[in-house]
Amino acid sequence: MVAKCQVISLCRSLLRAGRKYPDYNIREYTKQRTLDGFRMNGNLTDQSKVNEVYAEGKEQLEVVERVLKVYLAYPPKTKNIMELNVQ
Amino acid sequence: MALRNAVLRHLRVPVQNLAVRGSNQSQIGFLGSIRAFSSHDDHLSKQDVVDRVLDVVKSFPKVDPAKVTPEVHFQKDLGLDSLDTVEIVMAIEEEFKLEIPDKEADKIDSCSLAIEYVFNHPMSS
Repeated sequence: MVAKCQVISLCRSLLRAGRKYPDYNIREYTKQRTLDGFRMNGNLTDQSKVNEVYAEGKEQLEVVERVLKVYLAYPPKTKNIMELNVQ
Repeated sequence: MALRNAVLRHLRVPVQNLAVRGSNQSQIGFLGSIRAFSSHDDHLSKQDVVDRVLDVVKSFPKVDPAKVTPEVHFQKDLGLDSLDTVEIVMAIEEEFKLEIPDKEADKIDSCSLAIEYVFNHPMSS
C-alpha cells in the first residue's frame, strides 16, 4: 500500500540524487527521466500496479546512488558548455 | 593612575559585551557598526527573495508568466500538479542553495509560503 506522500518522497529523493552528478548530461537526464516516469504513471488506479512501479522506482534510486559513487571518482575535467554563462 | 584605569575600564566594557553577546548587536555606541562575531551580515532583502522566487516560477515551462504574483498558489491558481510543485521547490532550492527537508517542502504550496520560507532561512544566499 503505497501512499501519495511516499511517491512524492521517492520523486524528491531521485531528483536530489540526480543533482549530485558532476556530469551535466547525466544530471539533466536523471531529472527529466524521473519527472517523465512519474508523470507517465501518475494516473494509475490499480494499487498493485502502483506498488510495482513504486518498487521499480526504488530500485532506480539505488542504481542512481551506486553509479553516482563511480562518477564522483572520475569527475569531468572541463566544464560542459551548457554550464558556462555566455555573456 | 586609578582615574586612568577607571576610564579605560569604562571604555573597554563595550568590547567585552560584544564578545559575550556574540552575534547579537545591542545598543553599543560607536562600536555599533561592528558586528565582530556575526556570521551572516548579508542576509537577503525581502524584495530580492520575492524577485528571485518569482523568476524561478516564471521560468517553469508549464507556467504562464502573466499569472505569477507573490501570492499565487501553485495548484489552485497555476493549475500545476503535485509533481510540478516538487519540481518548483527543487528549483527554488537550487536557486538559493538550500536543502529543504521533506516535511517543510511538502508544506510549500504557494509562492507566498516559498518566499516566507526562503526569507526566514538563515542559510539562503
